[in-house]
Amino acid sequence: MADEINNSFDSTPVVLLIDDSKFVHRILGARLRSESISLIGEPDGKAGYERAVADQPELILLDLDMPVMDGYETLRVLKEDPKTRDIPVIVLSGMDSSQDKVMAFDLGAVDFVTKPFELTELRARVRSSLKMSTLLRMLAQKAKIDGLSGLYNRAYFDERLQEEYDRAIRHGHSMSIAMIDLDEFKSINDTYGHPAGDMVISGIASVIQQECRSIDVACRYGGEEFVLIMPETNPEQAFTLCNRIRERCAQMSWSQHPNRAVTLSVGVVGADDGSTISCTPQAWVEMSDRNLYQAKQSGRNRVIASSVDGTSIQVAKAG
Amino acid sequence: MTAPDPNAYSLDINDPEDAELIEYFLGELPDRVQAIATAVSSNDIDELKRITHQLKGAAPGFGFPAIGSAAGEIEGQIRDLDETVESCDSIRAQVDGLISLCQSYISPSS
Ligand SMILES: [Mg+2]
Repeated sequence: MADEINNSFDSTPVVLLIDDSKFVHRILGARLRSESISLIGEPDGKAGYERAVADQPELILLDLDMPVMDGYETLRVLKEDPKTRDIPVIVLSGMDSSQDKVMAFDLGAVDFVTKPFELTELRARVRSSLKMSTLLRMLAQKAKIDGLSGLYNRAYFDERLQEEYDRAIRHGHSMSIAMIDLDEFKSINDTYGHPAGDMVISGIASVIQQECRSIDVACRYGGEEFVLIMPETNPEQAFTLCNRIRERCAQMSWSQHPNRAVTLSVGVVGADDGSTISCTPQAWVEMSDRNLYQAKQSGRNRVIASSVDGTSIQVAKAG
Repeated sequence: MTAPDPNAYSLDINDPEDAELIEYFLGELPDRVQAIATAVSSNDIDELKRITHQLKGAAPGFGFPAIGSAAGEIEGQIRDLDETVESCDSIRAQVDGLISLCQSYISPSS
């Protein structure tokens, strides 16, 4: 998951120019060279749209007057596709009628620049659109992230759960879900104070983050509860991963309470073949929760895994 | 429309980036002139409109505002043409003017 959360803000933004005139490609290539952007180009609307889907640029500069598929049509297609809908578009036009501007803005353009270009103005507009798009991306990213743990939040979990569940069924992939709960966490807050409790939450979260692979989706489910979606992972593999998290957490030392270890209990439920899944994603999560409850009841600091059809698989205990 | 500030497009031949753009434009110009001549002789008004439209937008940025405005005038006239007129005759004089203007940049001595 690290790759999804961290990057994308420090790298050079990619700007896609869609224009049928090679003069425009040439002049913008030269005049935007001093901006810290990477300019890519396509000569027509269809190729431009396909490039936008593939390369996900931060900004599109779109010519209105192009043969075959004109700028309006291209803009419509870009704004209809969820994969390109959020990419800001600056329209470039040799026609300076307010009718064109209104239509371009109605179709979702963020800005409008008239040819021939006034260079300082063009640069300023490119810069401000990029700034806005970076802020919007950060906001969108933030809306998915839990502030304290840095993991995905509950709302994002619900969304991804359905997606991964559908994918597993469609492709017949394995998939597992783990509910993780810190053991007797309340006593840490009560004894050492809430700041110490917060440090435990973020410390455990970073172990989870480190142990998870890039395909796993690690979320903070609530207070001291975490949930993992492990796509293409059968219950045995999920058990191994979760047991590693359990072991590492139990061994951690805490500066605010060196003599009080933090352990966790885990309930895992997985499917070997997604095409045989008959329960709902919600029921799957409830089954994982029941295994977690079992783990708590039978002494904590342990992982209990079973198959989604109810077959018990493995139990790992402390020590 | 506010008239573009001519100083915004005046390029400096001693600036490497400007020189590169001027050279590029001059390199492309013979092809454009040829394309204009072909469009006129075959009465291809759409093509003539496309080329002059592009020149209008691009030429000033490469340091050739005179070509830009000559092309823009032709584009404007084509826009105003009666749609039933399918001949380039009425704008032939302006097109010839644009072509010789371009020629004067391509081979300044002649
Ligand atoms: Mg164009």
